[in-house]
Amino acid sequence: MTITPPTEFTVVSRRERATLVVRVGGELDYDTSDELVDEVVRQLTAGQTPPAEVRLDFGALTWIDSSGLSALLMIHRRTSAFGATLRLDDRPEILERLLRVTNVLDHLTAPAAGPRHGGTERGEGVTESGAT
Amino acid sequence: MVRCARCVPSLVSLSRGSPARPSAEQAVTTWPEAPYPVLVVDRHGGLVRVNEAARLLLPGAARGDRLHERVPSWLSQAHRRIGDGSCGPSAGTSAGRINDRFFEAHPTPAGEGDIVWWLVDDTDRRLAETALSDSRTRTDVLSESSSALLSTLNVPRCMEMAASMAAEHLAEAAVLVAPAQGRRHPVTSALKGGPVDRTTRKVNVAEVPGLSEALQGFPPVPARWINPADIPGWVVPEGFAGPVGSVIVTPLPGHGVPAGALILLRSSTEQAFTEGEEVFARLFAARAGAALSAARLYTEQASITATLMHELLPPTLRSVHGVEYAGGYRASRDHERVGGDFYDVHPGTGPAEETLVVLGDVAGKGLDAAVLTGKIRNTLHALLPLAEDHVRVLELLNGALLTSHHTRFATLVLASVRRRAHRVHLRLTSAGHMPPLIVRADGTVEEAATRGTLVGALPQVTAHTVRTVLAPGETCLLYTDGITEARGGPLGDELFGERRLRRALAECVGMPAEAVVERVQMLAAQWIGAGRHDDMALVAFNARRNGSLTVVNGDGDRGRDE
Repeated sequence: MTITPPTEFTVVSRRERATLVVRVGGELDYDTSDELVDEVVRQLTAGQTPPAEVRLDFGALTWIDSSGLSALLMIHRRTSAFGATLRLDDRPEILERLLRVTNVLDHLTAPAAGPRHGGTERGEGVTESGAT
Repeated sequence: MVRCARCVPSLVSLSRGSPARPSAEQAVTTWPEAPYPVLVVDRHGGLVRVNEAARLLLPGAARGDRLHERVPSWLSQAHRRIGDGSCGPSAGTSAGRINDRFFEAHPTPAGEGDIVWWLVDDTDRRLAETALSDSRTRTDVLSESSSALLSTLNVPRCMEMAASMAAEHLAEAAVLVAPAQGRRHPVTSALKGGPVDRTTRKVNVAEVPGLSEALQGFPPVPARWINPADIPGWVVPEGFAGPVGSVIVTPLPGHGVPAGALILLRSSTEQAFTEGEEVFARLFAARAGAALSAARLYTEQASITATLMHELLPPTLRSVHGVEYAGGYRASRDHERVGGDFYDVHPGTGPAEETLVVLGDVAGKGLDAAVLTGKIRNTLHALLPLAEDHVRVLELLNGALLTSHHTRFATLVLASVRRRAHRVHLRLTSAGHMPPLIVRADGTVEEAATRGTLVGALPQVTAHTVRTVLAPGETCLLYTDGITEARGGPLGDELFGERRLRRALAECVGMPAEAVVERVQMLAAQWIGAGRHDDMALVAFNARRNGSLTVVNGDGDRGRDE
């Protein structure tokens, strides 16, 4: 279970037509998570038309903690407000496990309900089944 | 002020009309327009000629006057020295004051023993030099005060140092008035070279001109506007020499709010504060204010952290209704960041009632995490009557935590525990947290099959509760990821991991809960070594050995031990 030594946190984003692709590398934690949220929000509001899909590519992610997951939840709120569907691609085991334990994968990647305006409300586009 | 660098015999006087020199008539026609004051003086000290500039400088000076009656003694003496031959004109340059200006006087021979004195106004250069030297001294004082003041984060000490340094470098006495605490002001006063006196007293700040304004952070009132006679007695420190002659009242600017005000006093026998000194006092006050505010902020922060830490300190656990509970908490070494791990045991009202154990972890660090932790613990306490339905508790908790401002969430485990005969019955529910581990009597370690959503970030949460039973010798462990994600090991950057935790637990069959907690903590601590780590919390419980249902150690309300 050796993990790679700490690597520099990187965020690189590019727009492919209706899709915003953000590559996240290194450690997504308390110190770096704000940077990711800021970048995605900046990209969401940058263009004329917001993307229909936001893909976060975690291929180079080496670490994520609860603050990092909190950032993903915030990004989901933002993308939902813009009617964009969030996708979490190329998830390493560390992220997969965190999503499994906290039970938020379905929530994060559910198709967006359509564009909404403002985004100042709770900003959640989906509701989950309340079954236990 | 008279300087005569080198005294040499008087030069041979050149006679009028000498072919080697321009004639005196020519000289007379050129120097009267000279921009410098020029005096021609005969060997006996009588004024021969005075040009226009010199007349402006020495009103009334005219041909035939005696030099020593018209100019300050330094110049008349310099002339006499040339006249009596003790100093030649070429070396006779002197300097001194005439009225309020400063002059260099250069003598040149003008035939028949006359001397022409060229007076060069040197006032501005002298002033500039003095200003430069003053400013160097002040810069030194400022940097010295800054480093001295910033080296302490103790507010009273910082005030003492500021007052003492102000008295040393700026005035005869300095009084530092801090913002009111209640209706009293901390007042720190210092005498130059004397002791510092610190009191907290009811003072009327309105009595001192400009003080209440300074305490509100308004710019200082010019010193010349303050009548020293208006200064009330409480401002003047004991032992101050004589009546107050001049006063400066300047604010100590802080971060946003004023850190206080500084009153500087000089007695009437001393020179009044100059404008430059007022500016310097303001600069000093700015440094002192910054240092004081830093000290005050630090003190407040430290006290808030201490209060929060005390509130967040996990309870000491004990046996409740025949079940032995043990908890362990190791805070992150990141001291300024209050951690987000917590646990609580809420004892059932009687042996037949369930005891609720909560262990959780809040995302993030610092004050935000601490506030959320407090909120969760309080909410859960209020929801205790509903603890029969874990999912309902989690839904209500989730609703209470949900906010549009952030997605800070918590993961937690709820365990309802009740002992029946020798067995402990459990209901376990995970809300996005690592499921509890159960050490069975045969040494296998099971993960409770409960799964649920984290709380505080999603509009809806789901969770699944599982029931299980602990036989004698079997233990249930709740833990936070600080344990499994502890980095260390031989290479220093490997995770402790779930596998190692399970292996350690497998060796804990039949051990008291406290021993299980200690063993896991010890292994994790060894794994980390000297490295950094996150908060680590764990709670273990099992049937109390030899304990029957009727033996109750710790009654209903004693889950937390203060």
